[in-house]
Amino acid sequence: MTYEEAIFYVIAAITVAGGLGVVTARNVIHSALFLILALLGVAAVYVLLASEFLAIVQVLVYGGAVTILILFAMMLTRVRDIAGPIDGPQRPIAALAATVFLGTTVLAVTQTEWRGDTGEATVVSIDQIGEVLFTTWAMPFEIASLVLMVALVSAIVLARGEEGE
Amino acid sequence: MIPIDNFLVLSAILFSLGMYGVLARRNAVLILMSVELMLQAVVINFVAFAVYLNPETFTGIIFGIFVIVIAAAEVGLALAIILRLFRNRQISNVDEADLLKW
Amino acid sequence: MGMDQAWLIPAIPAAAFAVLLIFGPYLPRKGDWLAIAAIGASFVLVFPILADLLDQADGTTYVAGEKAWEWISFDLAAAGETFNIEIGFYVDPITIVMLAVVTLVALMVQVYSIAYMKGDPRYGWYFTVMSLFAASMLLLVLSNNLLLLYAGWEAVGFCSFLLIGFWWEKRSAAEAAKKAFITTRIGDIGLLIGIIMLWLEGPNTFNIQEIIAFAEEGGYGDTYLTGAVLFMFMGALGKSGQFPLHVWLPDAMEGPTPVSALIHAATMVVAGVYLVARMLPLFEVADPIALDVVLVVGLTTVMISATMGLAATDIKRVIAYSTLNSLGLMFVALGSSAVAAAMLYLFVHGFFKALLFLSAGSVIHATEEQDMRRLGGLAAKMPITAAMFAIGTLAMIGIIPLSGFWAKDEVLIFAEEEQHIIVYLVLLSSLAITGLYMTRLFLRTFLFAPREQETYDHAHESGLLMTVPLLILGLLATVGGFVVFDEVGEALGFPGGFAQFVFLHRAHEFDFQFDTAITSSVLAGGGAIVGWILWQNKAELAASIRDRFAPVATLLSNRYYVDEIYQFAIDRIVLVLGSIIAWFDRVVVNDGGVNGAANIGYFAGFEAKFLQSGRLPNYALAIVGGILVLSIAMLVTQV
Repeated sequence: MTYEEAIFYVIAAITVAGGLGVVTARNVIHSALFLILALLGVAAVYVLLASEFLAIVQVLVYGGAVTILILFAMMLTRVRDIAGPIDGPQRPIAALAATVFLGTTVLAVTQTEWRGDTGEATVVSIDQIGEVLFTTWAMPFEIASLVLMVALVSAIVLARGEEGE
Repeated sequence: MIPIDNFLVLSAILFSLGMYGVLARRNAVLILMSVELMLQAVVINFVAFAVYLNPETFTGIIFGIFVIVIAAAEVGLALAIILRLFRNRQISNVDEADLLKW
Repeated sequence: MGMDQAWLIPAIPAAAFAVLLIFGPYLPRKGDWLAIAAIGASFVLVFPILADLLDQADGTTYVAGEKAWEWISFDLAAAGETFNIEIGFYVDPITIVMLAVVTLVALMVQVYSIAYMKGDPRYGWYFTVMSLFAASMLLLVLSNNLLLLYAGWEAVGFCSFLLIGFWWEKRSAAEAAKKAFITTRIGDIGLLIGIIMLWLEGPNTFNIQEIIAFAEEGGYGDTYLTGAVLFMFMGALGKSGQFPLHVWLPDAMEGPTPVSALIHAATMVVAGVYLVARMLPLFEVADPIALDVVLVVGLTTVMISATMGLAATDIKRVIAYSTLNSLGLMFVALGSSAVAAAMLYLFVHGFFKALLFLSAGSVIHATEEQDMRRLGGLAAKMPITAAMFAIGTLAMIGIIPLSGFWAKDEVLIFAEEEQHIIVYLVLLSSLAITGLYMTRLFLRTFLFAPREQETYDHAHESGLLMTVPLLILGLLATVGGFVVFDEVGEALGFPGGFAQFVFLHRAHEFDFQFDTAITSSVLAGGGAIVGWILWQNKAELAASIRDRFAPVATLLSNRYYVDEIYQFAIDRIVLVLGSIIAWFDRVVVNDGGVNGAANIGYFAGFEAKFLQSGRLPNYALAIVGGILVLSIAMLVTQV
């Protein structure tokens, strides 16, 4: 086992632990904190995949903004004060479904011979990404920015409340 | 070097966990967090394929960027809706919003 | 006017029927004059056609006339042939005999009916159906192909149903009509099967003469042809009331008496005889067992009807049993291939049987009573009727010189020559029994002291409209038999006499055989005398014999329990089968199939609506479930 693989396993374990914590934590805030752990773990995975740009974007957007947003939403909707079990009645079936899905996917993945498998992660430099992003993928880029603007506007409208609030 | 299967299996595990969370959790915000988890898994998959199998045209990485963008926008909007729901009905459990039934 | 215009004979009464059906209620006197004019025209038209037939005769060989129009014709792609149905008319000596009997008796009966049915609320309808009946019977007799014959056959059965159930408010009349129709229908199925069989293997035609020619050349297989003719004989069985389908005829007496005279004595019931006579060449070609069946059936009918006649008390019923007796005799003649004898008997039987019925009708009309236990001594009050009834009785018994004697003798002669001695002996014994019961009928109704004084006081002779037909028929019943003599035949214009007129293979001379005449006269006369002794005055002798042989008497008066057997069969078999099928139709087809199919939709929808629980996790689970199924399927099929 090369030391890269060892590092991978450690990071993978951390990420999976975070994921587990998200879905099984009793306390909602703990769940959110575990999410932060998972997200940062994923950023580390991106580094292992030789995509540093993505790792940085992940940390900035998710670790910075999304988690704060989620915590704010939890605060505004008083999640801690609401009574009742935190998990719904579908728990066993959900577990079963998830397990089955996991089984089929792992089976599919390990059985398949991936075409063009070079066996190692090629480094894609940031200037390559940038160049492609503004030439080949310029249109989706603009649309993405539009989407963001629309989301922003509608979030404000939705969350604003009635006049006088 | 790490074989690609490792990343794909990791992605599968994360996706399954997220799927479980979506189906089992009651609170809307928790479900949203599980969805986020699933999206992360998807992006890992995309990037792994791009880097290992398709390094010349690394479409997967671009995909990943856009997924993050859209996911962020979606989280914002989803939370706005949850806030609205909470303000109107004082609930944030997903199985209490069941007016569209038979 | 010749044989080519033979189509007019059925067409005129048919036209009268159509007019009466639509306009009858509005015509003066409900149109009875129209019906009578139509049947009278048909009767008159028989003579020019007969003259034409005689003209075209070559010495003693008669040439039959035929005229046909094509009606339906289309190509049968599967068989590679064309399917033809034609409307055609065929005139030969047998046809002429039938035409003469049918038109004359129909005319007499309809004139009689004017007085008999007077005042009936459905007077017009009576004459309408009578016209339809006349048209159908004449069509049956004149048709040249089996399909048209079958059409006429069914139509007369239908008219019989309508007329038997004429007074359908009376439950027994409705039941009798139903019984008649169903019983004859059972026979008709056989007829249809026979017709189809003949057509299927035959020369692709329904034409009777062509089928006969084809059969005589050996076109049909032996067993096949025997089967076909036996099926056709089934139809004759039903229509002519032979055993075992005889049960409807006595019950058919529920209808008005003129109806009984026309349909159940002179015309419709002899349609079976006509059919067998017409198809006799086929019977000859087929296995001899076919003719033996005809013979045995006829004999059985003769014996059971004669014995049942001894026990019946309704005067119309006794005459009905005598009709069965006569029909059996005709079939015995046919079974011995004696077409001439059978047609002769048919000819004279039409007259004396109609006479008997109409006289009985005269009695019923005058006294409102049908049971002979309540009649008696009416000869004093109704002399003409009594005399005519006497003539009819003597003709039936077969006393010389009346017509019935000559006809019966001819049958006996043929039976003696052609058949086993047992047949002859059975016929002789039936002569004696006939003498017995007919005498009983006459005595109890007309002679000696009246049983009920009130009924006796009511009795009166009937008016002219009823007595004149009686007189005409009485005259014919008396002299009709003399056509047996060749001299008479030639005098009337038939070259070679009547014997040459109607025959099958060779002309059989109607010779007068002394010994047969003596034997039959002795037996018939003896029967009559014994009857006189038994039933004279108060009939104490007959009553004491009846008491001594009580079981036999019960058997006879219950008509050999044949009706009960049939009813049992119907109740246990037919109705049970029907109820099973009805259950199947009601439960499986309707409730299960039709309603069930509809309910599936309803309940499926009802159960499916619970899927809309309104809860997001459920919907999410459904989505996930679908994805899982798909992914597993893809995994399995790829791997």
